Amino acid sequence: MRWPRALGLAFVALLIAAPFGLPAFAMTLLTELVILGLFAMSLDLMVGYTRLISFGHVAAYGLGAYASGYMLLNTSLPLPFVVILATLLTGVIAIGVGWVCTLATGVSFAMLTLAFAQLLYAIAFKWTSVTGGSDGLAGIPRRAGPMGLTLLTTKTGFYYFALACLIGSFLLCRKLVASPFGAVLRGIRENEAKTVSLGFNTRLYKIAVVAIAYALGGLAGALYAPFAGFANTELLFWLLSGQVLIMVIVGGSGTLIGPILGAAFFLLLEHQLSSVTEAWALFFGLIFIGFVLFAPEGIWGLATGWVKRREKPLAKVRLRD
Amino acid sequence: MTIRPRLTRRAVVAGTGAAVASPWVWTSARAQAGGMIKIGMPLALTGPLGSVGQQQKRGAELYAKLQNEKGGILGRKIELLIEDTVGNPATCVRKAQEMVERYDCRLLTGITLSSEALAIVPKLAEWNAIFISSDNGDGRLTAESFVPNFFRANTSGPMGARVVSLYVKQAKIKSFFALGLDYAWGHNSVQVFEDEMKRLKVNFIGKVFAPTGTKDYSTYITKIRQSGAEGVYLVLAGDDNNAFLAQAAQYQLASKMAMLTEQIELVALRAVGDASVGLIGSARYAFTIDTPANKEFVELWKAEHKTVPDTFEGEQWQCMKVFEAGITKAGGIEADKLRPALEDLTIESVKGKVLMRKCDHQGVQKGFAVKVVKKEGFDHPIPEVISTFPAEQTTPPCNKMTYED
Repeated sequence: MRWPRALGLAFVALLIAAPFGLPAFAMTLLTELVILGLFAMSLDLMVGYTRLISFGHVAAYGLGAYASGYMLLNTSLPLPFVVILATLLTGVIAIGVGWVCTLATGVSFAMLTLAFAQLLYAIAFKWTSVTGGSDGLAGIPRRAGPMGLTLLTTKTGFYYFALACLIGSFLLCRKLVASPFGAVLRGIRENEAKTVSLGFNTRLYKIAVVAIAYALGGLAGALYAPFAGFANTELLFWLLSGQVLIMVIVGGSGTLIGPILGAAFFLLLEHQLSSVTEAWALFFGLIFIGFVLFAPEGIWGLATGWVKRREKPLAKVRLRD
Repeated sequence: MTIRPRLTRRAVVAGTGAAVASPWVWTSARAQAGGMIKIGMPLALTGPLGSVGQQQKRGAELYAKLQNEKGGILGRKIELLIEDTVGNPATCVRKAQEMVERYDCRLLTGITLSSEALAIVPKLAEWNAIFISSDNGDGRLTAESFVPNFFRANTSGPMGARVVSLYVKQAKIKSFFALGLDYAWGHNSVQVFEDEMKRLKVNFIGKVFAPTGTKDYSTYITKIRQSGAEGVYLVLAGDDNNAFLAQAAQYQLASKMAMLTEQIELVALRAVGDASVGLIGSARYAFTIDTPANKEFVELWKAEHKTVPDTFEGEQWQCMKVFEAGITKAGGIEADKLRPALEDLTIESVKGKVLMRKCDHQGVQKGFAVKVVKKEGFDHPIPEVISTFPAEQTTPPCNKMTYED
């Protein structure tokens, strides 16, 4: 077994065992980390594998959160069905978003994604009857079911549900990037003109990856609403788009696992720094600058680099033997 | 030869990791403090409403300091757990949850924005926690969004709007335009004011909302001027209020129409100086309120801070006094004991008598209309009380945001 897989399995085992050893608040934080990790990983499909820089990925998160929150408040659908429907809805809407945004490339693509997110933000503010306006939707329940199943209404049950969504999405994304589809995405990332000359309709591939990334971002949002118990316009604010991009960069783009670690690092650092000082944003900025300058490959890149450096001398010793 | 320390990648990562981990160690000491009365304050200490959060923090800190010098409440010292939320409901929920689950803190106050409070209140029953608001204006918190573990010691947005409308009745202004902050409190207060104006047969021409953090109000001022109204009603706070007042002075808005505001804060008067002179509005609290308890509070404040207290410093002080009276009456801090003790509790406060009525947990209290004036002895304009309205007139009926008379 190669060490990354062993490390990954050990990490998953730790996450599964967490509720048995961690206190209540640590579990709350861990559940949020899992959800944010899923959100950051969804963006990595676009940024890390296709080099489609999005400044508006918050649209997926917010859309998923509002859709899930609205359904949980206004229908009797069980939580898993609501989450699936919200994910699908976000993915379907993202096909339109992808179709429009992929008319442009580079910075223009990024600005179009931002414009779409801002449009949703404005709609959420004004469409008070559905979105609750500036107050948002409060008191979102974790509805029981299906078939009277109450496990998901508990904190631990919901954590396992979120964790299952993260692991399932990770496996799906890993399969996707390792498939011929993923090879085309990497082709677009490295040299789109060459990929086109090989006969691929790259725009269709880009629309598809936007739809998949948004659907997974929507899944994260759909989980966040019943987790926090509310959905409001902050979940569609552009600032969160910037933050999730930082999570991807700090964690290590193009690795899937890196952004999950980046999200964990971001949330813990923000949470802890703001507990210590009111000038936390200043220190946070300095740490981000430090990462960009000293560890551009991100946390995951640092970890893998460290293991490789340790492996090399051992390999030399074996050769000498 | 000198050895220079090298800033390696490993050192940077190790340092950052240590920084992330260390507060867990520091804060674990906080959780171990036993016998204290822990009061959690998730506050917007930074961001557009940071000045409001800072006032709440100072108000609570002075109270805790003085009360702890007297032995605390029921012989137990008060410990404030203060955290910055940046005014973000998601962060606020996380911080409040940490206070409850990690530090076993079941008393909450602060929570600067109404949007944060609206996200928190559905969780109070699950947390078995009591939240006494010191500044949340949104009327729905004691109406359609009311939950049994929520209490409001402060003047609400509808109560502030009501004071302005009672003043308008006296001043006979015939038409109004309104500008509010584009979130829960702003919308709610403008709506109440609009209803009040319609009932008074005053022409309500229109309204506009600005996002929090707006720096340039010129387009809004143009809209207000073009409306042709005789008066403009403002529902602004913090940096937004300062930015608007400064720009309104440049555009000489006060010479075109009467400017009435839902709340007047010293921090804004200090920031914009003479540009605020003549402004009339409701004051949730003003250091010039003439009550014995307020005179005593102002002296205590001056002794500590060498200046007079501002709106939310006074409101937070009043809120802490409600906590004190409730905990003393209940004989403890458990939610199931404290809740009934707070219901129909009456205290003599800085604003006079305050009754925490049982039906919707709103603090029934007087309303104050103030005018910004220049006065000798102060290097900035101050709010002077020009009318005091009785609590029966300013407080809405139970579980309502609108008035019937």
